[in-house]
This record gives sequence, structure tokens and C-alpha cells, in this order.
Amino acid sequence: MNFDLSEEQQLLKDSVERFVNDNYDLDTRQSLSKNPAGFSDTYWQTMAELGWLGVTVPEAQGGFGGNQADTMVLMEAFGQGMVLEPFFASAVLGTRAVVSGGNADLQSRLLPDVVSGSCRLGLAYAEEQSRFDLEDVITRATAQNSGFVITGHKSMVQHGGSADQLVVSTRTSGGQRDENGITLFLVDTKAEGVTVDSFPTVDGQQASEVTFENVFVHADNMLGELDRGFTLLQDVAIDGILALAAEAVGGMEILYKDTVAYTQEREQFDHSLADFQVLQHRMVDMFMEYEQCKSMLYRATLEVVQNGREAMRTVHALKYMVGKVGTFIGENAVQLHGGMGVTEELRIGHYFKRLLVIDAQFGNSDHHLSCFAG
Amino acid sequence: MDVDLSPQDLAFQEEVRDFLATNAHDPKTDYGQWRLNWFELAKAKGGWDVPKWPTAFGGPGWTPTQHYIWEKETAVAQTPWDLPFGLSMLAPVLMNYGNEEQQQRFLPDIRARNVNWCQGYSEPNAGSDLANLKTKAELSEDGTYYTVNGTKIWTTLAHIADWIFCLTRTSDTGKKQEGITFLLIPMKQEGIEVKPIITLGGSHSVNMVHLTDVKVPVENRVGEEGKGWGYAKGLLAHERTGLAGISKSLVALDHLRLQAGSVKRGNATLLDDPAYKSKLAELEIDLLATEFTELRSLASAASGAEPGPESSILKLKGTEIQQRIQKLTVEAGGIYSAAWGKKPVGHSFAKGGMSGYLASRAYTIYGGASEVQKDVVAKNVLGLKKAK
Repeated sequence: MNFDLSEEQQLLKDSVERFVNDNYDLDTRQSLSKNPAGFSDTYWQTMAELGWLGVTVPEAQGGFGGNQADTMVLMEAFGQGMVLEPFFASAVLGTRAVVSGGNADLQSRLLPDVVSGSCRLGLAYAEEQSRFDLEDVITRATAQNSGFVITGHKSMVQHGGSADQLVVSTRTSGGQRDENGITLFLVDTKAEGVTVDSFPTVDGQQASEVTFENVFVHADNMLGELDRGFTLLQDVAIDGILALAAEAVGGMEILYKDTVAYTQEREQFDHSLADFQVLQHRMVDMFMEYEQCKSMLYRATLEVVQNGREAMRTVHALKYMVGKVGTFIGENAVQLHGGMGVTEELRIGHYFKRLLVIDAQFGNSDHHLSCFAG
Repeated sequence: MDVDLSPQDLAFQEEVRDFLATNAHDPKTDYGQWRLNWFELAKAKGGWDVPKWPTAFGGPGWTPTQHYIWEKETAVAQTPWDLPFGLSMLAPVLMNYGNEEQQQRFLPDIRARNVNWCQGYSEPNAGSDLANLKTKAELSEDGTYYTVNGTKIWTTLAHIADWIFCLTRTSDTGKKQEGITFLLIPMKQEGIEVKPIITLGGSHSVNMVHLTDVKVPVENRVGEEGKGWGYAKGLLAHERTGLAGISKSLVALDHLRLQAGSVKRGNATLLDDPAYKSKLAELEIDLLATEFTELRSLASAASGAEPGPESSILKLKGTEIQQRIQKLTVEAGGIYSAAWGKKPVGHSFAKGGMSGYLASRAYTIYGGASEVQKDVVAKNVLGLKKAK
């Protein structure tokens, strides 16, 4: 048994932590989030140069050939800096769909550009009526000539505005909530009939509502098999949940440590706040929950690396904990900072908002608890 | 034991409902004009525009039960917005401790809602420990004015206020609570700088207020020099009971049900989701109990007794319930609660839900943080010695 990082992972961790420390103080982050694209092109290029964008791309396509544990190392550090670049959308979600579902031609055409950062990917799966159910898909793809025609609407597509290609879940047969009959396609966001309407999200990132109106895609752009896209979508979601959980754990660490530091500095009633037992115990609870979350993150990540989708139940457990603990730590970090906690000036409020958004992505706490319970 | 209203109270309830229904805002008419008319009409009813004011100052002189009925009915009906700073916070201090000249000078404008006040209490190093305040007021040699220097923080609506009522320090000797003086200061003058503080939801309602060599005539001092803490303390207790908001929470819970019912989940709605349903149920149960805690507190007040131990938990429970309602609204919004653009995305209530939730995190901080409130209950109600 060994929970140490490999030598390569340790190097990766050192380099990503240095990047975050050097580039991601709160002021920089907040001003970058006001860029039209919502992040820094320069940082994006840096991520490409350091090889991070290809972390899970096979070596044959110019990638690092890593797995979910390597992504975890990156995402945890990104969580500590609330990094804005669309790494998650492109290098985690989009890349997994293409690597697992794209044909050889598509992969060798696309993946080198993904690794170099010149092509950004994204995932468009949610629809207004679907809540957290991946199988609830109305957006329709109909066979026509050498390909398919897609019509429908996708919601809250993270970084949709800066994506070049979107992985889109569509209904090719069956009823609205059938697992069979779902097919994934890779769609160029500049294709005729695609409308991308972008807006900020509360955590300083961006999302888009994307409309497809008779959009033609070539059959070569199908990811996975016809009507059998649901399991591929689930695999993408599993990787997504693991990555979000790592990001969340990174944020939780900042929140509890900032709180411990602040309560030692702040004096009221002639004592530092940290002298009060009720606050000490609250911070111990925050710390305990953080450590538990981290354990569950390791557990789920290692199980997925080993057993893939067989580890689904542990992934549900992880996402449940991340939502519950993220809210607990976030709310208490704000409470213990008092009035300062509710201002935009301190960074804790921003981490708290990011954790709130993570809870709702790919199903909230309640959703995953009920999946776990079965 | 019963919770029936007396025939007189039932008649009063009827009268209130009738007034609120007759004077509800017609969306086709101008809101601002309606608002001012509404207060005129309420005044004509016998001081309903200033429900909490005593009869000597033109208030209705209601019993605690009548106040309760008013609060409950106005939570349901559409009544005009109002600010508490002049009306509920400063006015009682002026009535109890101000001189006649101050009462005549300030109360009519407060009642007419044409002068805005803000509250200058908290400071960067005086939050929960308010008596630690340092803003200095020095009396001039000829005894005609004070020179005020210092910084106030979390000053709600200071940026639109005409006046600030301020706790200042006039003496450093003795206990912290001594040497605090209550001053009334016009905002629109040199030496006063208002800096916005942006809160989690991205909105601006609180401020930092810097006072630099601000001259305040002694006529603007309320009561005696050095006695301001005693004047303000009564106010704080008032602020704390007013923050429970039980009637408003009952209305908010009804809204939440409607919102959750509009969220589709397959062929059902979120209201059919067992986990969500049971959280709503837990919330409702807590609210049912808290409503009766409030009624018990009310009944003892109505009989003229000192507030019982049950009243001490109202702010704690009430604010916690408000926060849970907001949290469940965010959960109902699902992925759409993150959308933060100008127009709504997905569920129409989602953005308001998120900003309401973020704002609600302050409810357990302002007016006495919950941890400090519990210290007060431990000491005053349970008779425990001060813990560290």
C-alpha cells in the first residue's frame, strides 16, 4: 500500500503548484475573469507548453498518456487557485469523449491540436428538463446522407463560448429518458445552425446556452457507437466528477486554512477568536471533513483507475461528500470570518461560490446519495 | 391553554386584511406615488404608518397581539418597502432620550419617509465586541461642537443616507461601555467619505464610512455625554427580536414549494423527489415549532411579563430557518443557480435564489453573530459562567 505520488506525479504537482502560486492571486484572477473569454490566453499557452493539456491524451497523439490520478494532481492545484482556463472542459471532459469514442482518423486529426491548445473542446449534455439525469435527452439527431442533422438546445455548457468543438449528446432513437438511443457527436461551434449564447456564472467562470438548428455533422464525427452513447457519456461524467472533486478538495483546503489563520489574527473581547473553544471545535470539524473528503477522493480515483465504471458507486459517494462538505466548510469559513466573510474583498467567498457551483455540476449531493442508496 | 384570538383581535385582523386588500398596489399605476399614498392612508387609520410608535408620538398603541397580527398580514400582502434605520432604530432613542427640540426636528421627517438615516455602530475592530469602538469625538474648548474622527463599517445604505446616527468615544477611562456618546451627523459634508463594500452576491448595500475632522454641534448629541451605550443597547435588543422574520419565512416556504414544483424531473417534479421532500418537511416542522415559540413569547409580553427564556432563541432559530429556505431554493435551481448573466437562464427563480442565499449568510452574523447570541443565552438564561 502506498499513497505517495510517483516521481512523475510529484514533478507535475510541483510545477502546477508553482504556476498557481506565481499567477493566481485573487486580484489577478478577478481581473482575468472579466476578459471576454473569461480567462488568460497566455496562461492557456503555458498550460499547453507544460504538457498539461495532453495529460490524458495517448502518447501516440503527442500526449502524456496519463490517467485520472494524474488529472487529480492538476485539478487539486487548480482548485487552490480557482484557475479559470477551460482545462476541465477541454482536457478532461472533451478529451475523454474523443479518446474513448473517436475513430482513429478523428483522433489523429484532432488530438495534437488539443494538446497544443489550438483547439478547445467542451461538453454539451444538460437540457432544461433533464435536471441531473444524463439519459434525459430531447436534442435529436436524424440520419441524413453521409451524416446526421442535429436540432435541439443544450444548457449551462461550461466554457461553451471559447470552445471550438463540442461533444453533444443527442437522441437517435427511443424515448426521452431511455438509456438506449443516445449518440454523441463532435460538433464544430462555427458550423451553420449553431448559436452559442454565453454569460458569466456566479463563480467567476462562463457558461453558455447552445442551440442547434438543423446542424449537419458528418458520420465520422460520431463518438462511440450509434444509439450506444450513454455509457460513453457516463464515462466522461465519471472523469468529470473525479476532476471536480479534486478541484473542490483544493478549494476546501484553502478555506479551512484561511479560517484558522484569520481567527488567530482577529481579536474581539480582548482575545483572538481562535481562543474560543466553540470556534476551535468548528474548525476541527472543518478540518476533519476536509480530510475525509480527500480520502474519498483518493478511494474513488484509485478504484476508477483500476476498475473503470465498475467503481460507479464510490463515485456517487464521492460526489455526495463533496457537495455536503463543500457547503459545510464554505458556510463556516464565511461565518467565522464574520462580516469580512461576506465581502468580495477576501478570497474565501469566491472559493465558497465555486464549491456551490461544483455541487450542482454532474448531479448534486442529494442526487448522488440516492444513486448510492440505489 | 388556547391560541384563539379574542373577538376584538379577530375584528382587528379583519380590519387589517380589509385595509391591505383595498390599498394593494395596482401594477398599472406608479409605484412611488402609491407608496407615499399608502403611508398617508395608513396614517389616517390612526398611526398605522408607524405601528411601533407609542400613542404620544402618533402611533396606534397596539397590544403585542395586534403587532403580531399586523406583521403576519403584511408579510402576506404587498406592502410598500420601508427602511428600519430612522423609523425603528433611531426614533425610539429620540423618543426616550432625545430632548423635545430633537424630537420635533427629526421625527416628522422620519415619519414622512423623506429623510434617510443610516446606523454608525460597527467598526473594523468593533464587531461582535461593539463596545470596543474607537471613533473619537472631542468636545471643543468652548463646548459648542465635537470633532469626530474614525471609521465605521457595514453601514447599510450610507451611500444614500442624509444622516448617520453614530456611537462615538468621548472618554477612554473606565469600562469600555462607558465614555460612548450618541451623535447625529449629516452625511453630505466635507470630511465624510463613503466607500462601497461589495458583498458576495456582487451587490452594494453596505459601506465603510470614514469621518475626518467632522464638526458636530452639541445640539446633535442625544442624551448625556458618555451614556450612549445604554441608549443603543435597548435598540440592539429590539433589532435582534425583529430579525426572526417568522411570518416572512412562512410566506417564503410557500413560494419555495411553488418554485420546486416548477422544476421538472422526468414525468414528475422536484416536489416528488424523496430527499428534497423530506428537507422541505423538516424545514416546515421547525417553522411550525418556531411560530409557536414566537406566540409563547408574545403571550407573555401581552400579559405584561418579562420576556421568557423562549424569546431568546427566536433570532437564532429564525435566521437559521431563513438560511435553509434560501439553500433549498439554490438546490431547486440546480445547474441554473450558477447562471449570473443579465437575463435569467433555465428556471426563472434561479438567479434570485443564488443571490438570496449568498445574502442570507450574513443573517447569522449581523445584529450579533449566532455564536455570541448563544453566549448570551448561556449566561442570561441558563445561568452559566462565561466560557472561553
